[in-house]
Amino acid sequence: MKKYILRRLAQFIPLIFGMTLISFLIINLAPGDYFTQLKMNPEISPQTIEEMRKSFGLDKHPIIQYFYWIKNVLKFNLGESFAYHVPVSFLIKQKLKNTISLSIFSLLLTWLISIPLGIYAATKEGKWQEKILSFLAYIGISIPSFLIAMLLVFFSAKTMVFPIGGTTSIFSPDATSWEKFIDYIRHLLLPGIALTLSGIGSLYRLMKNNFLEALESPYIITAYAKGLPKLKVFYKHALRNSINPMITIFGYELSGILSGAALVEIITNWPGMGRLILDAVLSQDIYLVMASLLIGGILLVVGNLLSDILIAFADPRIRLR
Amino acid sequence: MEKILEIKNLIVSFKIREKKVKILRGVDLSIEKNEVVSLAGESGSGKTLTGLSVIKLLPKNAFFENGEIYIDGENILEFSEIEMEKIRGEKIGMIFQEPSSYLNPVYTVGNQVEEAIKGKINKKEKKEKVIQIFKEVGLKENVYFKYPHQLSGGMQQRVLISIALINNPYLLIADEVTTALDVTTAIQIIELLKNLINKFKLSVLFITHDISLAKIFSHKIAVMYSGEIVEIGPIQKIFENPLHPYTENLISCLPEKYKKGDKLKTIPGNIPDFENLPSGCSFHPRCYYKKEICLTNQPGKTQIEERFVRCFKYGNIVENRKS
Amino acid sequence: MNNLLKKLKKANKFSFFSFWILFLLYIGAFLADFISPYPYDCQYRQYSLCPPTKIHFIDKNGKFHLRPFIYGIKVINPYFNEYEIDYSKIYPIRFFVKVPERKIFGRIKFGICLFRVEDEGKIFLFGTDIHGRDIFSRILYGARISLSIGIIGVCISFLLGLLIGGISGYFGGKLDTFLMRIVEIIMVFPGFYLMLALRASFPLNLSSIEIYLLIVVILSFIGWASLARIIRGMVLSIKEEEYILASRALGLSSFRIIIRHILPNTFSYSITALTLSIPGYILGESALSILGLGIQEPYPSWGNMLSSAIGNLKILTTAPWMLIPGFFIFLTIICFNFLGDGLRTVFDPKNW
Repeated sequence: MKKYILRRLAQFIPLIFGMTLISFLIINLAPGDYFTQLKMNPEISPQTIEEMRKSFGLDKHPIIQYFYWIKNVLKFNLGESFAYHVPVSFLIKQKLKNTISLSIFSLLLTWLISIPLGIYAATKEGKWQEKILSFLAYIGISIPSFLIAMLLVFFSAKTMVFPIGGTTSIFSPDATSWEKFIDYIRHLLLPGIALTLSGIGSLYRLMKNNFLEALESPYIITAYAKGLPKLKVFYKHALRNSINPMITIFGYELSGILSGAALVEIITNWPGMGRLILDAVLSQDIYLVMASLLIGGILLVVGNLLSDILIAFADPRIRLR
Repeated sequence: MEKILEIKNLIVSFKIREKKVKILRGVDLSIEKNEVVSLAGESGSGKTLTGLSVIKLLPKNAFFENGEIYIDGENILEFSEIEMEKIRGEKIGMIFQEPSSYLNPVYTVGNQVEEAIKGKINKKEKKEKVIQIFKEVGLKENVYFKYPHQLSGGMQQRVLISIALINNPYLLIADEVTTALDVTTAIQIIELLKNLINKFKLSVLFITHDISLAKIFSHKIAVMYSGEIVEIGPIQKIFENPLHPYTENLISCLPEKYKKGDKLKTIPGNIPDFENLPSGCSFHPRCYYKKEICLTNQPGKTQIEERFVRCFKYGNIVENRKS
Repeated sequence: MNNLLKKLKKANKFSFFSFWILFLLYIGAFLADFISPYPYDCQYRQYSLCPPTKIHFIDKNGKFHLRPFIYGIKVINPYFNEYEIDYSKIYPIRFFVKVPERKIFGRIKFGICLFRVEDEGKIFLFGTDIHGRDIFSRILYGARISLSIGIIGVCISFLLGLLIGGISGYFGGKLDTFLMRIVEIIMVFPGFYLMLALRASFPLNLSSIEIYLLIVVILSFIGWASLARIIRGMVLSIKEEEYILASRALGLSSFRIIIRHILPNTFSYSITALTLSIPGYILGESALSILGLGIQEPYPSWGNMLSSAIGNLKILTTAPWMLIPGFFIFLTIICFNFLGDGLRTVFDPKNW
């Protein structure tokens, strides 16, 4: 077991390096840089621009720039944002918390809803209950997440059900931290539900298919042949085996959630990484963009690692080679 | 002698694409106490379906159309699911073909054998019972904590045997238990079964496509072809003097019947498609002895001494069953 | 082709209908110049955020008109975008009307429009946006972008994925490991972040054509990776089959084997995978356009038509018809999904 974890960690590191390389390459594909915009401004003298370029290290050869950047990344210094003139890491720290809470909230909610629904539909396969659920799921898979978000915002604006935008309401100074927490959750609901709704469809379908497949397995016949009651066969034997593939795709799920979260964040005005990277792109703030891309990728890799470890716990065939 | 199992006129059909297709077309079979009856035939003849019928675990699209199955005097086709749950594992045990697929990969084998134990006994005693049966089947104590994938094919099959026998059932159904094993292991399992059958005085329905295996410990053999039993009788007599043309062919195909230099015999043709059975006797397209009556009528059971055979060669009993 | 359609209908009624709905959408996009009553950039400032015009057959007095008609629009308050139906003015809808010349695809001059009313009347089937442009017309023109980018992007990804996956799977060894490492690294980034970052590498202000090509390139770059990985897996298993061994024994060059024997076997899976991934590309383009990074004004794409609805609550609540492009995106996606599922059933060997 330990060996397995160590092995996965070892693969982790070259992957991260590859990621930093690609992030760097992508950004430096750009013809011109942040300062091309500034150069057009006649009020700023060419010397000032040249000095600023030097201070950001942009006058050196790209490969050297890369190594400087890597060195700094390792020291957790992700450079400075051009637009905001604050360290990139500071900006990211703020927004990352919000993106992570949104992602975890909707991931949990999606799983809590899809898995029981999927199992229920598997038991009612072919009957009207399953047909309706599957049709709804189909719609859910096809509706763009931004449309769901927009519709929810529209609905919310008309009925004032959820607060829209931001993470806090205005408080009097003696609001307790519990109240602040509840308020945060209330603001989380709109983007969270939008994200959940767009994710339920595919997870439901997957769970239903996994469960049906597990029920067709030979060891289910053995279980019945022992005289076990149907319920036990379902929940002890079929369920365990159908959840395992879900754990494997957990990492992939996380990728979808992060991507989906970014767009939903922007539409619902939730201050997270999505908004951050968008603003960075709009102002060609390259260090911010690079760092956001890198963090996004790292989050994903960590998610994958987590799911690999989880599956090792859950499936003895992987744990005990 | 009392009959442990009696199957009367069993008809099992499948619902395929809105059509009803009969697979088991009137199977009659009985097993007495301490008797081992082999059910032999090619793949696709309906043997496994018969085995699953006895334990009432038909596949999804299959259903019982007619017939009776008496276990210990009671017709289980009238049992509710709850009543079946009681007798499964307790009165009937079943072992299957591919042990690796028939064991749940995420639980230890000890766990899986233990959950088969019926009756209210505490955990410690359950574990002891498992260890005990492991000893009987030749498994070491530490296997209790292993997962199926950590065991060899032979050991996995022994686990399945433990599961089937742990409650001392009357009847054991063994469905092609050695087909997925290599020859050496298969021999070991067969020896093991022989010993267990003798030791615990089991009644066994031994399903196989290999009739030479059937010879090793069966008392009776029933030969099955396209959903019905074409010949049934004491094993020695059938081997010495097979009556039904199909049985004749099967036995003549056995390697031991060849002398050096002989050409290998096969049975020409293929088993018929259940949706398009030949008219009359379903074996006639491949039969050497066919007569005119064979093309239009289905043979009924003719009794010769203690054997039964369905063939117009031996009698003119007609039993046309509409499909 | 007919054979395929018949099989599709048998497999899945929904996929059959989806095929025809998509067909209609593509025709609509192709004939946008003909079908739309107004050019996509024609602004009627006094009618901004006007609700959809209703078509009537029976007028207020209960009289039935054979020719459908609309009522006029009275502007109550231009600052708050309030409108009222003007029952005094009736404009019958005329078909195949001569209009000031338009250029199809910017070149051919064409002067007939499918339906229209007298110039004084305005027929806004889906309402207008904030600049007073007819949304119905913009949807038709926008369809050109949204529907074509998906197909073109997918084709490029497909070719790339097929080639790289095929080579990687067939030759194996170090080449395979290297290529798959690259695929892995690309796949490790969340799609949305990668898309934005790639977009950021290029200047924000590009001409329409450049942006279009850029979006296609970006989407293809993100998409080829997963396809390559799957194709590689399939190639690995096909490679071991005996007819491949036979081809090699006959002395066929590796390239030939890959192209003529291995890849065609991946086709049935690939076509299904392609159809099912088109929605992703449409979503990608829409996402970029919503954020203002895709197709720029005034040229419409279903994505950028939605951008004014974001962040501006007032517009969203008073003019919900602004979300109609979103429903068209949804419709297209669900049709492609049904179509893909139908294709999958048709190509499934179990059903042959």
